[in-house]
Amino acid sequence: MSQQTAARRHRVDWTKWSLTVWGVLMFVFLFLPIVWIVIFSFNTGRVLTDWSGFGFDGYRSFFENSAPRAAVQTSLIVAALSAVVATVLGSLAGVALARRPGKWTTGFLFLVALVLVTPEIVDAIALLPWYVLLGQDANILAFNNGYVRLIVSHSVFSTAVVTLIVRARLAGIDESLEEAAGDLYATPTKRFTQITLPLMLPAVLAGGLLAFTLSLDNTVISAFVFVQGSTPWPVYVLASVKTALRPEIASISTMMFVLTVIAIGLVGVVLRRGGDSSSDIAATMTGTG
Amino acid sequence: MTTDTMETADAGSTAPVPSSTKKPRRARAPKFLLALPAWTWFILFFALPVGLVLLYSLGEQVSSFVQKPDISPDVWSLDNFPKAFDPAFAPIFWRTLRISITGTFICLIISVPFSYWLATKVSPRWRGVLLGLVLVPFWTNFLVRTIGWQLILAPNGFVSQKLQDVGITSGDLGLLYTQAGVQIGVVYNYLPLMILPLYVAFERIDSAMTEASKDLGANRLKTFVQVTMPLAMPGAIAGMLLVFIPLMGDYITASLLGGAKGTMAGVLVADQFLNTFNWSRGAAMAVIMIGFILAALAVFAIVGLLLRAIVRARRRVSLPEAAA
Repeated sequence: MSQQTAARRHRVDWTKWSLTVWGVLMFVFLFLPIVWIVIFSFNTGRVLTDWSGFGFDGYRSFFENSAPRAAVQTSLIVAALSAVVATVLGSLAGVALARRPGKWTTGFLFLVALVLVTPEIVDAIALLPWYVLLGQDANILAFNNGYVRLIVSHSVFSTAVVTLIVRARLAGIDESLEEAAGDLYATPTKRFTQITLPLMLPAVLAGGLLAFTLSLDNTVISAFVFVQGSTPWPVYVLASVKTALRPEIASISTMMFVLTVIAIGLVGVVLRRGGDSSSDIAATMTGTG
Repeated sequence: MTTDTMETADAGSTAPVPSSTKKPRRARAPKFLLALPAWTWFILFFALPVGLVLLYSLGEQVSSFVQKPDISPDVWSLDNFPKAFDPAFAPIFWRTLRISITGTFICLIISVPFSYWLATKVSPRWRGVLLGLVLVPFWTNFLVRTIGWQLILAPNGFVSQKLQDVGITSGDLGLLYTQAGVQIGVVYNYLPLMILPLYVAFERIDSAMTEASKDLGANRLKTFVQVTMPLAMPGAIAGMLLVFIPLMGDYITASLLGGAKGTMAGVLVADQFLNTFNWSRGAAMAVIMIGFILAALAVFAIVGLLLRAIVRARRRVSLPEAAA
């Protein structure tokens, strides 16, 4: 009897042990290219792939050249503004979905799902002729502006993301609090600002930060719709990669990577303080909830 | 905004009325009003542009110097489709499908043990931290990750050098700008989209289920195959969809790691819009690409349903004694 349990315990350990080894290997795989980029951002050579020595040349050339700095600046402005647009549109839609459901819900959710699953390259090739049509044929000059094009394009996908996050948050909260406020004669405006808004705030903040990050990282759509003079950083990097791999590319990438990690860390903190479990957070952040 | 003012007016005039009579009044304000701005946004900058692409695919290129095709209804035809799928391009679509299916299954196979381990074997205190670590590559810029692989796979890169030092290969690795290189790149790039839904699915399984299976005499393998995996199936299906669909439309991985030998459909489509300036052919290619995705999903769904029916039929438990 005791031998049997000993044997079983031994086997249990073996399964767990091999799964753990697999887990560690997967983490190595997941971080391999990221670590690689970070290490090579300190390469002093002229060509990124050939390691010649440790130094800050890549970072120095970033700060000394105006083109990459302008690209990062463009990206930050576009990310901030498109996050505002997406947060406002998405939050309103999320409230409507959670609190005013009706026949329209199915159709609207179908549209949201379609926006989320359509491969980015399709949006990209669709938006380029569209902006040409609006800006040149319909003469709406705003759509010839690179910033407007980028902000609008980026905000479409993130509006869908914010909508789902806010809807999920409000769906998990009983409407009775808001009804109580109504019964106590709070005006709808007051009811919204004092009850609904504080309740949905974690989702709104998280959604806004995700929208910011999504825009900051957007490459495919940006590469199609950008206009000379408003090049966002991934497009600048993509163009540089195709001509020559310089260490400066790894340095920009590393800095933007740090920025993204901070933004995503903040999303995690906001959601955690809003009472989500780590599994909920992961689901929210990947749109798989 | 409009709802607010309308309801404010309502609330002012009907303040003393009990809430039961207030409800039908509130319902009079259009319910979808708050969603209207987002809806408009989706129509204007998603539905209409994509619709225009569909029109372009029916149109006709005016000349090789004009990007915009003629899309007046009298020139509509399906001529662009055979041209977009001619012998020069068709193999690229088939390759895209092959790379995507292979990539999706590799992701699934390597993620199942990983997500299972993360959800059930890691102590709860570490689980949050490790999950956060999985999110880091997911949120790292796609382009940056791909450049990382470009460095690793480069002929004079680290992996190639080490393999030569050890004596496994004599020449360079030769993975960059090949299908194998693209395959590694896409598995890496879309992997978190498989890990996370699987993790959520494994984590939500009630441990009472697996314990019951063990109490009824099933061993660990049997429990995993017959209880845990079926319960995690929604997560696996979600993961496969989340990986397969964007992978079919991949542009960045293929254009950075693929070279001429590993091009995929997304690069082909992009090329028509950015370099060749033949919008109607590019649009037709995009439509074909979407057609491939939908067809693959349909086949996948049919095969899945058939498999489920077979498994259920073979495992049917009949309890005649209990009934009698």
